[in-house]
Amino acid sequence: MKSTLPNMVLSLAGIAIVAAAALAAVNSCTKSKISEGADTARMEALRAVSPEFDSHNTTTGADGLTVYNLTLGDTPAGTAVETFSDNGFSGRITILAGFDNAGTLTGYRVLQHQETPGLGAQMDTWFMPDAGHGMVVGSNAPLAVKADGGEIDAITGATITSRAFMEAINKARTAIGDER
Amino acid sequence: MKASRVIFDGIIRRNPTFVLILGMCPTLGTTSTAITGLSMGIATLFVLVCSNGAISALRRAIPGEVRIPAFIVVIASFVTILQMLMQAFVPSLYSSLGIFIPLIVVNCILLGRAESFAARNNVVLSLADGLGVGIGFAGALTLLGSVRELLGKGSIFGYQLYGADYGALLMVLAPGAFIALGFMIALFNHLTAGKHA
Amino acid sequence: MLEYLSIVLTAILVNNIVFSQFLGICPFVGVSKNLGAAYGMTMAVAFVMVVATAITWVLQHSILIPLDLGYVQTIVFILVIAILVQMLEIVIKKTSPGLYAALGVYLPLITTNCAVLGVAILAAQRDFGLVHSLVYALSTAAGFGLALTLFAAIRMQLELSDVPAPMKGVPIALITAGILAMAFMGFSGLSI
Repeated sequence: MKSTLPNMVLSLAGIAIVAAAALAAVNSCTKSKISEGADTARMEALRAVSPEFDSHNTTTGADGLTVYNLTLGDTPAGTAVETFSDNGFSGRITILAGFDNAGTLTGYRVLQHQETPGLGAQMDTWFMPDAGHGMVVGSNAPLAVKADGGEIDAITGATITSRAFMEAINKARTAIGDER
Repeated sequence: MKASRVIFDGIIRRNPTFVLILGMCPTLGTTSTAITGLSMGIATLFVLVCSNGAISALRRAIPGEVRIPAFIVVIASFVTILQMLMQAFVPSLYSSLGIFIPLIVVNCILLGRAESFAARNNVVLSLADGLGVGIGFAGALTLLGSVRELLGKGSIFGYQLYGADYGALLMVLAPGAFIALGFMIALFNHLTAGKHA
Repeated sequence: MLEYLSIVLTAILVNNIVFSQFLGICPFVGVSKNLGAAYGMTMAVAFVMVVATAITWVLQHSILIPLDLGYVQTIVFILVIAILVQMLEIVIKKTSPGLYAALGVYLPLITTNCAVLGVAILAAQRDFGLVHSLVYALSTAAGFGLALTLFAAIRMQLELSDVPAPMKGVPIALITAGILAMAFMGFSGLSI
């Protein structure tokens, strides 16, 4: 088709309008589903790491960490903290850590990281109770890896990641300490 | 020209990855496992078929001078629709493919097919071309992902074939992507060498 | 100041755009056959990357976020880049024929260079401030330039080597890039 100013403007404008309409339509259909999905994922992670609870409210703790205060019925049922460390091998590590009322770590889940696959990335299972690398879940005091005089076996070949992991958990513990 | 012929051409003779060497970024960036490679391939296939069809249908209405911006708008719209659908229905897959989903917009395969095929052929043939090239791309990504996952972790599609400890971790990391792709293109060259002569 | 130094080193060495982020691979393989072309491409990419990041940052923060239009980000950003590249081509052609002769052929290729769009999207996703975004864009471009010139120099040597027929060209180049990527992995974990 021969190009003239009117038909160039008209055809581009036409395509842009149709595209914008289509996008707005899809957006309105998927928007609620997307935020619902994010909520479900957060609740699922909270339930996985924390003691049993039925409702929660959110506050902001030290270092800007998000703290979830959990309750079962009317009684406090523990706390979960979305904590992080910037001292990993590559970028920020974000971890959700759950604590019971006594401040004992009840579980953790690595939410986001860019650690090396096969090395640092093993942290999502390495520190779990049945892995036998020292008591992380169930611990009541600040954690450190053996190289730093602590009790925990660092991930083989990924001491830096392990240290960052400990730092994140310890930071979460400090944050709930401040809360009480 | 028959639609089946066009599809076949796209998969083998004009395979976007092994022959035309296009769309390298997602090819390297998303193939650390077979499943991510396949997912990325299918996402690209979806956008390619839609954009080829739409551009072919509009080809008489778009003036030559502004065809590139027009194509980009069409492609970007389908990519955005894909982004929203993936976020809504497969959020974990969406976050594992990360930035490579919006970057489908700048995958040279899409603009290339729009310009060299969809702008000149009817809708049926353009859909066939999108399907063929898309399958060729998805197949290549799945193959590369399988090879890297097998050599790096000892599994394919998460199904463990031998101990993960025997895997060469390097294949899952960045250098492995370049090296595996290099050897696969060489193999493809070797297998097709006789036929070109 | 130290903060910016860390951004620069991370973008150039640790998270090199080509070797660890897998962006901008097409020009990396396509325009690295000789050093002159590598310099030209680097300059053109650096220019577009910084200007595009500045414009998209302003758009993102003054229009898309206030109006809750985040979902049209991809389409807006790619249009900005496409228009920018076209305008740059016209401006450079009129004002500086010398520069045009050096960069002209690379400019049209930049629209489909995923590194440019990638940097704009990453800067928006990570919520960088304007200065932070610009430093990030500039150092990413420097990292791209480093990868490209290193690789071009190696490829000029490869031309002279006796390579098995099926490996000639792209395959041996990719394998070489893999070895370079391995070298760059040595930088990961570097922190200030």
